[in-house]
Amino acid sequence: MSSRLLPTARAASTRPSWHRPVLQYVAAGLIAATLVAYATGGLSRRAAQEEAVLDAKATTDLLARSVIQPALPRGLVGGNQGARDRFDRISQSRAMGGPVMRVKLWDVEGTVLYSDVPQLIGRDFELGGDELAVLEMGGTEAERSDLSKDENVFDRPLGDVVEVYTQVRSPEGDPLLFEVYFSAADVTSRADEVFGAFRPISVGGLLLFLGMSVPLVWLLARRLDTAATEREGLLLAAVEASDVERRRVARDLHDGVVQDLAGTAFALAASSRSTSEPDLSHRLETLAGRVRQSLRTLRSLLVEIYPPDLHTAGLAAALDDLVAPASTAGVRVELDVIDTQHIPEEVVSLLWRTAQEAIRNALRHGRPQHLQVCVRQQGVPSGTVVLEVVDDGAGFDPDQPVPAQHFGLRSLRDLVRVVGGRLHVHSVPGEGTRLTLEVSLP
Amino acid sequence: MNTTRRAVAAAAATILSVTVVTALPAQAGDREVRREGSCSGSADWKLKAKSDDGRIEVEGEVDSNVNGQKWKWRILHDGSVSARGTAKTTGPSGSFDRTRRVLNSSGTDRIGWRARNVASGQTCKGNALLSRCGPRGPADLAH
Repeated sequence: MSSRLLPTARAASTRPSWHRPVLQYVAAGLIAATLVAYATGGLSRRAAQEEAVLDAKATTDLLARSVIQPALPRGLVGGNQGARDRFDRISQSRAMGGPVMRVKLWDVEGTVLYSDVPQLIGRDFELGGDELAVLEMGGTEAERSDLSKDENVFDRPLGDVVEVYTQVRSPEGDPLLFEVYFSAADVTSRADEVFGAFRPISVGGLLLFLGMSVPLVWLLARRLDTAATEREGLLLAAVEASDVERRRVARDLHDGVVQDLAGTAFALAASSRSTSEPDLSHRLETLAGRVRQSLRTLRSLLVEIYPPDLHTAGLAAALDDLVAPASTAGVRVELDVIDTQHIPEEVVSLLWRTAQEAIRNALRHGRPQHLQVCVRQQGVPSGTVVLEVVDDGAGFDPDQPVPAQHFGLRSLRDLVRVVGGRLHVHSVPGEGTRLTLEVSLP
Repeated sequence: MNTTRRAVAAAAATILSVTVVTALPAQAGDREVRREGSCSGSADWKLKAKSDDGRIEVEGEVDSNVNGQKWKWRILHDGSVSARGTAKTTGPSGSFDRTRRVLNSSGTDRIGWRARNVASGQTCKGNALLSRCGPRGPADLAH
């Protein structure tokens, strides 16, 4: 990693990174609490509805034993009108009202002996299997009322109702079916009442747990963040030390060997021009060319060891030094780079770092005949800086997993992401590779 | 002889009662019937039947002009006893009344009002017919 990229990376890493895991934990906790509340709510509501239906059955049972059966007059089964009147008055005053919306009394033949709707009295309907079973065997049953039945034609305005039926006996000893209709909305409301008592426990408990655990997670995240910062500091220090060392080696080479080679090349070229012997002059010139070539190779190595000051020397000069070995190896190189003085230093560093990685990969793995490096800007003064490195080498399949030891491109992607750029690599086996980096300028 | 006289008096009272009732027209067009007449003695009776939300509100009254008399009363519905009880005449008019609600059946409802003075045996008897379409002509007035 170039030391010139460190400030950007450091700036990114100095953001309070513990915020994110805490927020993620809170979000996940809220989602989990919502899901659990929804699930437990559904289960509780179902249990509460069953409880409410049980309540309705208990109410019906109590009504039948304590009010209806004692009030059944003789003659009601035989259709005595006065008996109906007497039973109606008791039913109206002691059974109807509250949750009870409708009352019916049936005999085993399916005749309505009594209903609070007088039009039903005396009419015959077919009793269902469950109703007949209760008539014969006793017990209490409940079901949601089927309002499409003829017997319920007068119940439709009541809306959704739950009917509960149980057996009573007339004074004459006949088994009768006593049927009570409750509003389903009342049953649901009762269910909500039952569920409402548990809601603070189920939901509130989760929220309380979440609230209590957030500070712990926050502390944990802070500790992890501190540890990560310390690790990052150590890494940066190591990189910084390496950078210093590389800079020292590069400076020693530049001030020593490079200067010596440059002087040797200059001396050989001067000697070549000053001698009168053509053969010697040619050999001296050849030696001077080889020394210059070695000098160029050494300068490329220096660039590899320690990148130039891009703002001082310019990105174009740095890239020119970078591709020098390719030209030497016979690769046809095209370099087209804009002036980058106005571009922020961290962006130029990223362009350099990316080009370095792409050119290195192209030369090492692609063995191309043609290499094109292009840096241009779309939109002035702001806009996007685009780097393209195109080669006609071997290419590769981007869909294949990258070997673990080839971490150059992966680390490059991380760098690009930190700076907020976009990196695209398009490659086809046998058809070369095109790497494109786009970085928006502030 | 006394028995013969009482029978004649009762028959005469019944004839008089019927005569009085038939003289009172029903209030055709609504679902309310009012009847009144004389009992077997000096008392008068009134009967009002009015349909009300699937029921018939029946109001029977006896007016004897004597305070403190004990009477047994019954409301009949299609010939069977729908309600019964005892009452005492009260107030300056020496009367009592009772109101009960009975079921309004799908057909014509025949309402009866009966009262008997426990002490004297004087009886009051009134009837009214109430159909779902309200009182209907002569059939409504028949007793």
